[in-house]
Amino acid sequence: MNPKANGQLQKEWGWWIAIYLFLGGIGGGAYTIAAVNWFIGESVEMSTRVGLWIGFPALAIGSICLLADLGSPKRAILAGLKPGTSWIARGTWIISVFMVLSLLHLILHEFTDVRGALVSVIAILGIVFAVGTMAYTGILLGASKGIPFWRTGAVPVVFVVSALVTGHFTIMLGMLLFSRGVAPAAPLRTMALEAVALVVLEVLAIVFFLQAAFKLPDPRESAERILRNRAFVFGYFMLGLGVPLVLMLILLFNVARPGAGSHLALAGIGAVLGLIGGLILRQAVLVCGALPTLNIAGFEFRRIARPKEPKAGIGLLPPQ
Amino acid sequence: MPRYGMVIDLKRCYGCYACVMACKVKNHTPPGVFWARILKGESGTFPNTVRQALPVLCMQCDEPSCMEVCPTGATKQRDDGIVIVDKDECMGCKYCMMACPYGARYSVEKWESYFPDGLPLSPYEEFTKKKWEEKSGVGVATKCDFCVDRIGDGKLPACVDACPANARTFGDLEDPNSEISILIKKYRGEVLNPEIGNKPKVYYLAPR
Repeated sequence: MNPKANGQLQKEWGWWIAIYLFLGGIGGGAYTIAAVNWFIGESVEMSTRVGLWIGFPALAIGSICLLADLGSPKRAILAGLKPGTSWIARGTWIISVFMVLSLLHLILHEFTDVRGALVSVIAILGIVFAVGTMAYTGILLGASKGIPFWRTGAVPVVFVVSALVTGHFTIMLGMLLFSRGVAPAAPLRTMALEAVALVVLEVLAIVFFLQAAFKLPDPRESAERILRNRAFVFGYFMLGLGVPLVLMLILLFNVARPGAGSHLALAGIGAVLGLIGGLILRQAVLVCGALPTLNIAGFEFRRIARPKEPKAGIGLLPPQ
Repeated sequence: MPRYGMVIDLKRCYGCYACVMACKVKNHTPPGVFWARILKGESGTFPNTVRQALPVLCMQCDEPSCMEVCPTGATKQRDDGIVIVDKDECMGCKYCMMACPYGARYSVEKWESYFPDGLPLSPYEEFTKKKWEEKSGVGVATKCDFCVDRIGDGKLPACVDACPANARTFGDLEDPNSEISILIKKYRGEVLNPEIGNKPKVYYLAPR
């Protein structure tokens, strides 16, 4: 019941928005990898198929999560009215076009024999809008003037890289499930190599992001909070990045027998942990966003610790 | 056309919360929603420290970031500069709340009683809830609108009227002879966090 004080954390965007950003990233990342693989050809056919099957459903479920967070979901149809200034409106258009393209690509690839120029054009446009979707999930936060932590400019970079990582891990997981335990060694090795490269890139991006946040007073508060956040440190950084990196390295240098159960387990565990980490990253970035400190004439106005609320039974409140 | 603004003299404000209460009574805001707030700030190092109250409300910015990010166009700026929310156009995405650096916006998902343990709403709360839903409602963004209905009736905003220390002055920033314009010029009125660039129309006179 206390009035909102500057310096305190935002509480309006929570899990629904984190899941929306997470699934938007997965959809964009998985489709980008699938479409690029589609151009490469037969050798990575399986990852193309799995990626195409992931893109559209991930975005559809993500959009439902966004609707669930809206105060008046029946007015969601108005969401794209101001693409000139609002990133939610722009995002609505980007995601809508991307969903149509990814669905079209999936249908053409899986249920028809149409190939050639038409599919190439759809794939190229799809990649453009997929990258747009991945970037949008970060720019949406970066355009919020009220939360300095999100405005350091690095959030879109982190989210794009994380989207590629989570998209990649989802494809990997899908390949393991679709292959029913007999995934061939060569694609698994390639996937592990790509995963290592992407995770290293994400580590660099997150370090750059936090370092940028530490340089300014208002974002620094949020940066300190995120580093005190156990879910971020243990769930994301250690279990979501560190462990998958180690598992992928083991897989990369040790895929001896095609379809060996232990290798599939390593890949599966690494992918699941990487996905959980991606979700925790978004949730932590959201919940650690704090309003800027207000200042005037040398005074700083921000949250001051207050005594706890009196318990029922004391003063005017009726006894329990 | 006037361009409404407010000046708050921090030397006069002693943080009595009369403005907060007047706003709640006038605008029927639900529990947890404070369109007018008081923040407490500290300055100096021990033992030479000073504590200062800072009344805060929607700054009615000339370049409101909340309006910029609104995807539906529900947030609008009137010709007199007051920023308002059209409850029938707001979809409740809460993006404006992320965009307001002054923390002036609120959204409630349901009306909760002021009383604990799930007690039913009192008759006054029922009345307040009805009035609130007429003007704003649950699931949409809400904020201070400088009491536009009172201004329309030729009255001052409720917080200005209620201030026992006469710390608040409301008026037309376009008129160089208005009390507010003279105060800003004479005492070098400042806005909060000008580096953000929203050009607020609520000015403060320094506490010392």
